[in-house]
Amino acid sequence: MRLPVEERPARRIAVLAAVLTGALGLLGLRLWQLQVLQGAYYDQLAQGNRLRINRLPAPRGLILDRRGIPLVTNRPSFSVAVLPMALGDRRRVLEALSRLLGVPEVEILQKLRGAPPFALVRIQRDVGIRVLTTLEEWRTDLRGVAVIADPLRSYPHGTLAAHVLGYLGEISGPELERLRPWGYEMGDLIGKAGVERQYDRLLRGEDGEQVVEVDAAGRPLRVLRQQEGRPGNTVVLTLDLRLQEAAERALGARPGAVVAMDPRTGEILAMASWPSYDPNLFAVGIPPETWRRIAGDRRTPLLNRALATAYEPGSVFKVVTGLAALRTRAADAGSTFLCPGSLTLGGRVFRDLRAHGRVTFRSGVAQSCNVMFWQLGLRVGPIQLARMARSLGFGERTGVDLPGEVEGIVPTPEYKRQVFGEPWYPGDTLNMAIGQGFTLVTPLQVARMMAAVANGGEVLQPRLLRSVLSPEGRVLYTSKPVVLRRLSLPPEVWTAIREGLAAVVEEGTGRAAAVEGIRVAGKTGSAETSRGRPHAWFAGYAPAEDPRLVVVVLVEHGARGGIAAAPIARQVIQAWKHLYAPTEAAAGRP
Amino acid sequence: MAETDLLLLSSVLGLCTLGTLAILSATRSPESPWGLLSVRLAHLAMGSVLLGGCAALPLQAFRRAARGLYGVSLALLLAVDLAGYERLGAQRWLQLGPLSFQPSELAKLSVILLLADVLARRPTPPRNLWEVAGCGLWVLPALVLVFLQPDFGTTLVFLAVVLGMLFAAGTPLRTLAGLAGIGLAAAPMVWRWLKPYQQKRLLVFLDPSLDPLGAGYHLIQSKIAIGSGQLWGKGLFQGTQNALQFLPMQHTDFVFAVIGEELGFVGTLGVLGLFWVYLIRGLQAAQRAPDAFGRLVGVGIVSTVGFHVLVNVGMTVGVMPVTGIPLPFLSHGGSALLVNLAATGILLHLGRRRSWSGP
Repeated sequence: MRLPVEERPARRIAVLAAVLTGALGLLGLRLWQLQVLQGAYYDQLAQGNRLRINRLPAPRGLILDRRGIPLVTNRPSFSVAVLPMALGDRRRVLEALSRLLGVPEVEILQKLRGAPPFALVRIQRDVGIRVLTTLEEWRTDLRGVAVIADPLRSYPHGTLAAHVLGYLGEISGPELERLRPWGYEMGDLIGKAGVERQYDRLLRGEDGEQVVEVDAAGRPLRVLRQQEGRPGNTVVLTLDLRLQEAAERALGARPGAVVAMDPRTGEILAMASWPSYDPNLFAVGIPPETWRRIAGDRRTPLLNRALATAYEPGSVFKVVTGLAALRTRAADAGSTFLCPGSLTLGGRVFRDLRAHGRVTFRSGVAQSCNVMFWQLGLRVGPIQLARMARSLGFGERTGVDLPGEVEGIVPTPEYKRQVFGEPWYPGDTLNMAIGQGFTLVTPLQVARMMAAVANGGEVLQPRLLRSVLSPEGRVLYTSKPVVLRRLSLPPEVWTAIREGLAAVVEEGTGRAAAVEGIRVAGKTGSAETSRGRPHAWFAGYAPAEDPRLVVVVLVEHGARGGIAAAPIARQVIQAWKHLYAPTEAAAGRP
Repeated sequence: MAETDLLLLSSVLGLCTLGTLAILSATRSPESPWGLLSVRLAHLAMGSVLLGGCAALPLQAFRRAARGLYGVSLALLLAVDLAGYERLGAQRWLQLGPLSFQPSELAKLSVILLLADVLARRPTPPRNLWEVAGCGLWVLPALVLVFLQPDFGTTLVFLAVVLGMLFAAGTPLRTLAGLAGIGLAAAPMVWRWLKPYQQKRLLVFLDPSLDPLGAGYHLIQSKIAIGSGQLWGKGLFQGTQNALQFLPMQHTDFVFAVIGEELGFVGTLGVLGLFWVYLIRGLQAAQRAPDAFGRLVGVGIVSTVGFHVLVNVGMTVGVMPVTGIPLPFLSHGGSALLVNLAATGILLHLGRRRSWSGP
């Protein structure tokens, strides 16, 4: 049935008019209900019996080491807060509060500026019992001041693993802008570095809230509804607290870094960086002068030296040169070289530390003979050296699950031309072959390279996250090894380089890394720097025949790798052997 | 000569005046006694010019411009998705020098014009889902771009307007019912596309206790503000809920609550009455339009305004979810006011009582 053309639209428009009229009528009825029937009730709520909503901060998730030992926990604490709309005599109250807390009035005003009047603004966190009792005494004069229980972050081991764990801080403007859709709010504490920052979304729970009816003076009358928050998830790290302790003890008070990693999985067992800081200082919102002292310290205690700064690799880089030479068949395990103590190139004489005489590939590695590696470098050329370095993961971030990583530099003739506007000289190749010149690496990258040598060519993504547990302890996520790239080289290449590295510790420059009862392989390095003494390196793995641990040590300006760095590695390997060898032996492993 | 619908014009005038007072009340403070008044007045001045211009232009001009305007809207929407800046977690604004512009507002009008043109060209109304889809494809790009911003509220406006215009065009009811069925079936998929905060808002509508500090807070406080206005209101500029900033966004999405608190049931009923006059006179104007295009444009404009009013007022009194749709002519916001006044100009043009009996 079709209607006449003229009639249809008219009727339908009339229907639309009726629908709109009906809907507006219903809204009118609703308004009658709200404003006339229930008006007095709502008026009461508005007049003085206002609703106040308090957030009940959810405890942040725990951070555990691989064996379940707590690295980061929470402890109860009390904060003093102000409810702006309930402030009595504003000026007098703020003045009294300022005196009581020892916080300048301007600072309090600054915190109150722009805050909504119905939200509690924390003025000082973690106040002591003295302040709490005084507050209680003066309660009637401090109208609008409240005490809130806040779970507070606690780092029971102090400075231990501080760079890995990170610290908290109050959310900044730009962070808030970015994170608001995920429920972040002004005044929230969020992770600013390390695991706390990397896994903030996992660690932070969901805040609960309390709806309180208050009278005109802001005194709570009754709790209308209370909803508990949900604590954050537990993050289990690959770190082993006891190995971490050993690594930090071994490094001592020397600026530098230690990385211990499982070459089979990329799990980081320990990551030390000194100088360090105490993240507990940040838990309550760090006092400005403490912040200035830490952030302005020329020794840069906030810097995670394992990954946030790149160093000249020195002789540690010879592993790359050796592999490049073996791969391109510029040398093999049987090659011999004559080291007269220097090499003359283009009329310039490059001096080694001493004349090693006739060396094999193995003894050349063991003695870290520059002349041999110069010759290998010249045979291989800078392009192949760079290629090998890149395929071992240098010049790119490792992708470890920590913020702040740098990529380092793998130079090429192209790089030199672009950055310095100069051509590449053969002398540059010599420098590159022994890890001097433009190459910059992080200890973590070196650890990854050593792991690749140890495991037969798997370039892994180092990682710190082992698993995530719900607050009830249910496993939500378990991380798995990530192989970024596989370097496939003939078996004899791996054998040759590993023999050389084992010889370094057995009879070469790295004897100080030797540990009784376990065969250690590695490479030392003393990297010349533009100022100060050379950086001392040791990078190795153990047991040599079945590697399960990679250790990299860097001591800034420690001079000789064999003297400053290798003994630190030895202590870490000893500790590891003490911790892991018995259990693995018991498990029937060789 | 033609006669202007003075009733329609005065309803808009009344709404704009009430909106201006409410915005002044909501944004003034001891530090800035005039609040956002000057901005509002500037918008009104520009809008009046637009209204006059659109009322004077021949209808065919809009029809000819429909496709071009739609293209411009799409380009602007795309620009927002790519280069717009974020406010409250959604990209909706485009910065042009000192002015920020919300292209989705322009898109509303251009979608109406385009769809009216597409429908008017057809010999018969789209009768089945297949034919509806053919017409709907035209507006799909705008819908998708707005949804991606993400602007869930405006996406809903588009859907409502398309439905209203199809209905007015004569699409059979069972086809429209089929469309609604498809919409319901697609809802779970759309749900997964929503941002967490949008999901939260919808959940909060079902249970305001889920988020009393966030979206639920608005609902609770808005109801308190409106309810406490009672019959006569607390008086202009006397609203305590408003002044103490219990009401967030009180000059934009919750401007109705300010009126409810300060002018009471009398005021809110007045606003609804003015809107009723606007919508009914708008529909009469549509009926009086010289051709199908004009009629559909009129219905489209009325559907847009009507939908905004129902959802926004419904939201402030707690019978609709919080979707962030402003109240036409009352909420603070330049882009929306300009486009709405321009659209009103078109309605005035459509509704002119012609002294000659045209073809």
